[in-house]
Order: sequence, then C-alpha cells, then structure tokens
Amino acid sequence: MQDFTIGRRGAIAAGLGAAGAFSIGGGAAAFERDGNRKILVFAGGQPVPVLDPHSRYDWSTRLIQQSVYDALAKYVNDPPQIVPWLAERWETNADQTVWTFHLVGNGKFHNGDPVDAEAVRYSFDRGLRMNKGVAWMLKDVLPPENIVAVDPRTVRFTLTRPMPSFLTFIPLWFIVNPKQVQANVANNDFGEAWLTGNTAGSGPFRMRRFEPQSVIHMDAVPDYWKGWPQGDQRRLSGVIYRIVREPAARRALLQRGEADIITEIPADDFEQLKGARGIRPDDHRGLTTFAITMNTTKGPTADINVRKAIAHAFDYEALIQIHNGAASLMTSPFPEQIPGHIEGPGIPRRNLDRARQFLAQSRFPQGGFELEYVHVQGLEDPRRIGLTLLNSLQPLNIRVNIVAQPWPTMVARGARGETAPDMVSVYVTPVSMDPDVIAGKYHTRAQGNFWGMHHLTDQQISQWVDAARVETDEAKRNALYADIQRRVVELQPEIFGMLANRRWLMRDYVKGFAYCPLRLTGEVDLHPMWIDAA
Amino acid sequence: MALFVLRRVLLTGLMLFGLVCITFVVSNVAPSDPAALAAGPDATRDMVETIRREYGLDRPLPEQFLRYVGGLLTGDLGRSIVTTRPVAMDLERFFPATLELVLLSMTFGVLVGVPLGMFSAVLKNRTPDHATRFVAVSLVALPAFWFGILLQLLFSVQLEWLPTSGRLDVAVPPPPFVTGMLLVDSLLAGQWETFGNALSHAILPALVLSFPCLASILRVNRAEMIEVLSSDYVTAAKAHGVSRLRVICVHALRNAMLPTLAIIGLRWGWMLGSTVLVETVFDWPGIGLYAVSSAIAGDFKPVMGVTLLIGLNFMIVNLIVDLLYGVLDPRLRTAP
Repeated sequence: MQDFTIGRRGAIAAGLGAAGAFSIGGGAAAFERDGNRKILVFAGGQPVPVLDPHSRYDWSTRLIQQSVYDALAKYVNDPPQIVPWLAERWETNADQTVWTFHLVGNGKFHNGDPVDAEAVRYSFDRGLRMNKGVAWMLKDVLPPENIVAVDPRTVRFTLTRPMPSFLTFIPLWFIVNPKQVQANVANNDFGEAWLTGNTAGSGPFRMRRFEPQSVIHMDAVPDYWKGWPQGDQRRLSGVIYRIVREPAARRALLQRGEADIITEIPADDFEQLKGARGIRPDDHRGLTTFAITMNTTKGPTADINVRKAIAHAFDYEALIQIHNGAASLMTSPFPEQIPGHIEGPGIPRRNLDRARQFLAQSRFPQGGFELEYVHVQGLEDPRRIGLTLLNSLQPLNIRVNIVAQPWPTMVARGARGETAPDMVSVYVTPVSMDPDVIAGKYHTRAQGNFWGMHHLTDQQISQWVDAARVETDEAKRNALYADIQRRVVELQPEIFGMLANRRWLMRDYVKGFAYCPLRLTGEVDLHPMWIDAA
Repeated sequence: MALFVLRRVLLTGLMLFGLVCITFVVSNVAPSDPAALAAGPDATRDMVETIRREYGLDRPLPEQFLRYVGGLLTGDLGRSIVTTRPVAMDLERFFPATLELVLLSMTFGVLVGVPLGMFSAVLKNRTPDHATRFVAVSLVALPAFWFGILLQLLFSVQLEWLPTSGRLDVAVPPPPFVTGMLLVDSLLAGQWETFGNALSHAILPALVLSFPCLASILRVNRAEMIEVLSSDYVTAAKAHGVSRLRVICVHALRNAMLPTLAIIGLRWGWMLGSTVLVETVFDWPGIGLYAVSSAIAGDFKPVMGVTLLIGLNFMIVNLIVDLLYGVLDPRLRTAP
C-alpha cells in the first residue's frame, strides 16, 4: 500500500509535468447555467460523508454546513471578526458566566418555520447530549439544562465557570430545526441517522442533491432571511461541490472550465496556473501551523539538548522554498494572528555552531544515532521536509529514517509515548481565534491527540494553560500566554515550522470571494459569491 | 449435474467464511483507532468512548467477531464509522457504479480480445500477429493510474472530447433509480441525452480498466486457437470441405473458449479489485473509491464489506464459469 501510494503520486507528478507541456490556462469559461442564473462549481478533494452539524466537522463538511445552516454569529474577514448572524446582539455578565443572546426577528428555516430561542436551545442541547463533533468546545462548562429559552427571541447560557473563549466557539454551533429533527428521531439517536443525509437548516442554500462521494448540489434560497450581499440580480442559482480527489484532475477541470474554483493545489501547479489567461489566484497567509514534533519520553529526543541541537540544525529556509515562497516561518508556537502571540521568544534558527554545542551537552555528544521521521503517506510536502531534515542533521552525525505511514497508523502510534515515532510532521489548524486552542497543544492532557505526539509533560505549562482558560482579565490572560510561549520554546518539544499560505485558483469571473483564516483548509464562504459573466 | 452444482456451492460458502475470518483478523491487527479518528482531533477521551460504545468497538475481539458473523447471516455488514450508515446501504449505493464500469470493461475486453486472439492465431507469426502481441504485452504492462491520467490529459484537457471525471456532468440530474447503473437506468427512462452523457463519462475509465483484461483474453485465446487449429479434428473438418470461416468460428473457437472462460472469470475478480485505482483517478463513485476512502480513515467495516462483496462476486462468477465448463465439455460434469 505504501509503495503504491508513493508510486501513484510520483506518476501524478509526472502527469502534471505532461499537463504543463500540453497547455497552461486558457480553456473554456463554461460555468453551469440555470435559466438566467449561474451555478458555481467548486472542486475539492475531500468528500462530505455526514451533513449533521453536531456530529462531524472538517473543512469540506463545514463548507456545506456553513452554507445550509446558520449560527448565532459568524466569522468573517482577515483578521477574523465575529459578527452577529442569527443573534442580532449579545451580552455577558462581569465574570462572563452568563451569556444572553437576542435573536433577529426574521430568521426562518427552509421549510418556513421561524428560528426562535427554542430552536437555539434545542440545537445546543442536542450537540452537548450527542457528545460528538463540536461538543468538546462547551461540554465542560455548559450542562444542557443551563440553556434556557427566556422568550421566543432570547436565549441564555449559564456557564459553570468563566470561559473567555465561549464566544469564539459560537460561530461553530449551527442551529437545526427541532420540529424536523424530532420528527425523524429513531432509537433515541437525536435524529442523527436522518441528519446524516438530510438537512434542517436556515442557511443561504438548501440541499438539492447529496451524493457524498461525488457531487453535492445546493440551491440558493431566493428569500434567504439575511439577504444576498451581492444583490438579488447577481446571486447564484446554486453551488455544486464536486469531489475530485486527484490534484491533476482538479487542475484539468479548472482549465476546461468544468470547475470555477479549486482548492488543495500543489505548489508547482499553483505557480504554473496563477498567471494563466482567465484564471485568478487567491493566495493568503494561513493559520495552519506546521511543526515536527519530537518524542520527549523516549530515545535520543527525550534529551532536551538533542531536541535543541536538532532545532538549531534544521534548515528553516527550505520550508519556504518547498512552498515556492508561499509560507512564513513561525516566530512563536502561536501563529501571529492569534491573540496573545509574542514575537521572538528565542525561537531557533539554523545555527550549526549552537547545534553542536547543544549536542555536546547531551548524552550523545558525537551523534551517531538514527531517528525515525514519520509523515502522512501520500503527502509530498512533508516528504520533502523529511529530506531537508535528513540533510540538516547530517553535520551532527544524526541519521534520519523517513517513513510514510497512513494517517490512522500514524495517529495510533503517536497516541502513546512508548510507540510514538521520534519525529512526526504535524499540521494543526485552530478552529477558533482563542489562544487556548493553541496553548492546549502543550498541556499534559494533549497527550494522545495527534498534535500531542511530543508527549510533553510540564506541570508549569499545564497550570498556566488551565489558569488562562478561566482568566477573564485580558492583560493577565495575555501574560499567561506569553509565559506559555516562552516555556514551550525553552522545552523545544517540536521544531516550530511555518504557516503555509491558503490558496485557491478560480476563473476570473468568480466574484465575492472573501478570505477568512479561521475557515478550515479549503473552506470558503459561498454566501457572498457570484459569477460576473454574460 | 445437481451434485456438481451442490459441491461447488458448498465450496463457495466455505471459501467465503475463510475470507470473513481473514478480513476480520487483518482489519483488527492494523494499528489504528477508528473511534478516535471519527471523533476528530479535538475530541475528548469520553467523546471517543461514546463512539467506541456506539459501534461496539469496546467489546472483546472474539465477541466482535461473533457479532459480525451473526450480522452477516442476516445481511448486516455493520456500520461505517465515517459515513455512519450501514455498510450494506453504502454498498447498495456504490456497487452499481462499479458493476457498470466492470461490465462495460469486460464486454469491451471480450468483444475485442476474442476476435483479435482469433485473428492473431490465424495469422500466426506474421506481421499483424507480432503487432497484436506487442500491443497486448504493452497493455498488460501499463499502470492503470498512469495511463488513466495520460488519457485524461489527452482526451479531456487537450482535445476536449471527453469529460475528465465523474459519472455525469454535474448539472445533469441522474435518471430515476432502478438498477443504479446510469446507462441502464437512463435507457429504461428513455433519457437518451443522459445516456450519452453517462457513456461519455464511462469511456475513459472503462478503457483503462479493460486493457489488461483485453490483453489477457487475447493472448490466451490466441494460444488456444493455435493449438486447436493444429488438432486432428480441425484437419478432418477441413478435409471434409467445411468452410474456413466455419472451421475457425465454430469448430475451433468453441474448444478454444474453455481456457478463455477461465481467464474471464479470473479477470472479473481482478477488475473488481482494480477499480480501486481507476475509480480514484476518474472519481468514479464506486466501491473501490469507497474502500480507499474508508481505509484512509481507518474505517474497516466498509473495507471488510467491499472485500467480501468482491470475494463473493469472484466466487459466483467462477461458479458460473465452472458450470459453463460443464455445459461446454460434458465430461467435466462427472469429474471429481
């Protein structure tokens, strides 16, 4: 299986080269039509197996959920802002334990039912009781019985302890129509089986065709309660999300005009197509961190001086080159866009003299050992980064064994310190703007999660993370996060890598694209988009 | 004949049970935690346990196996942890697409491979024979994914004759569901435009899938035809003044078809397995794609379901081939 995947990717890369030889850009502008209106075709590589907004989320699932459902608030813009959506305003008490949301009066579900406080209460209650998907965000502070529909337009949440990050999670909790869901409950399943392939939302699009492995077709709701920012004349007839797994095929679709926008684009493809006629690139600084975690519990990397030596020997500039310049180096364990980020807490850069000094202080002053570097099978960038690592560590007499493993195997191995590889390439996308989602990576409780494959145990960091989680004074909170960043850099549980840019390629007639770094990977907001062509 | 059929059916059942045991063991020794993967990267431990309990993954392995086998007897293949649907329901949705592709490929392989094999045998060691054999060897050697991408680039991107991937243009609504095979369903509904659209999407993947099969059939058929054409009864037929065409097409072909049938049976199973590659390249939403995406997610019930379905299919086709052997050669009906 391993050889097959690498071989296939290799062949696909060769195919891409051949594609470049055949033609670049141009092609037909052949968006789909529905009468006088247009249908936007978006091609991505990831299926959407489940529509239930309280059961699962990833970038492609959220793309659809965000289109079909609404939340009380929504993330927009870069840097991200939380703007009112189903709630027109909200307020909280002094210690931020009681949050009251006031709903807009005109919100309505696709079947015409009003979006009222009971629907909001039911949706949060359902998400918490199901204990899946989004539940982790609020389950520790919000018992279901603490959600009260005060009146048809007011809903109140009473938290068991202060949680400054509460509001940052609200845009991720979508509101479902309780009447539709309750009518389809079977075996006390909260209607989960039904909502897997059906929708009960109030969003700008409604489901027309749902084929989870291939095509999802949504129709625009003409009288969407929130209106259409591009104006009714320009609004789309609908959107088709087409699942195309191979990057070469997605590229071909864009060139042919069979797709209007594509995502998950290899760096070389992006470079070739970004200047092509009729194609427009969208290239933005991302929030997804790339790091190489080092196992702090066993083997040579358990020695902090070995970790420091590796971090100082690594060629960071190569990360930028691998991404053709479309990445920026991390200056802290926290991305710059995350509140609480501090610049330059002594983060390592390539310095072989310092690397040798650290190694000399370790249990392995002469090197002479081998480290296993694991990356997800089939991903080209982490493989190339592995080669960089191999070259970088040669001067220290450290060998690197690059191993590609399927994602499930890698995660299963990394769940325990004894089985976790020496080094693992890890991408992490924060789901909210709250620093806690990043700081939590270094808490002792992160062990077992894929981002916790370093298995770092540091009581000081864990205490600071716990304290910051409930601290409502922003200055004090930021001070705690500054301490956490300094301490994490000091302990060096990982090589702090880079933030790769988020990129899309689209036909130049696609308008209304608005980037927000808090959307996941290839996710876009389809609501404001339209096609400006005859 | 009845005993012959009964024996084959019992053997098929035994083989199927063996397959169940192997797929279950292989799936469960793989280092993976499907519940944790399904729960998502942010899930807390108790959220993972919720999913583990829901899917019975918290039970001891022997109990899971017994439950699985018990479920199989009632047609329950378990639930996919990724799609959350019963695997049987997913297979019902995806298998017709694969079947359509395999049937199309097999039909093409047989319709082209058998005549080419005959042609090659009749013109043995002459230039057309060498050319045909060269092409046959090349077709077997071509990696499906590489060849698929090349065809996409040529016929879709460059020439723009055929669609790149999928089963239908995205804006074309599928015909009413009867068999799940779009070509058949669009014909049944009298939707000729949809039929044409579906056919244009099927051509490239079907070609890629069919070539190795075509090449095998061609080579086996050629070899058998050469042997049969040199046999005494063919010489006798010719001596009796039977026309050359009748000797080749009736007397020789029928006897040369036995090994060809065996190859068709074997290739059927191979093709079902090969759809994994072809369906990935062409985004053909069949069981191959379903198996790949499930395996990537560590979701093993669908992988087991697909393996069983392919195995069952393979066994049934080989059973049919065995029975056809008996029809074509009555001596085999009494063979042990």
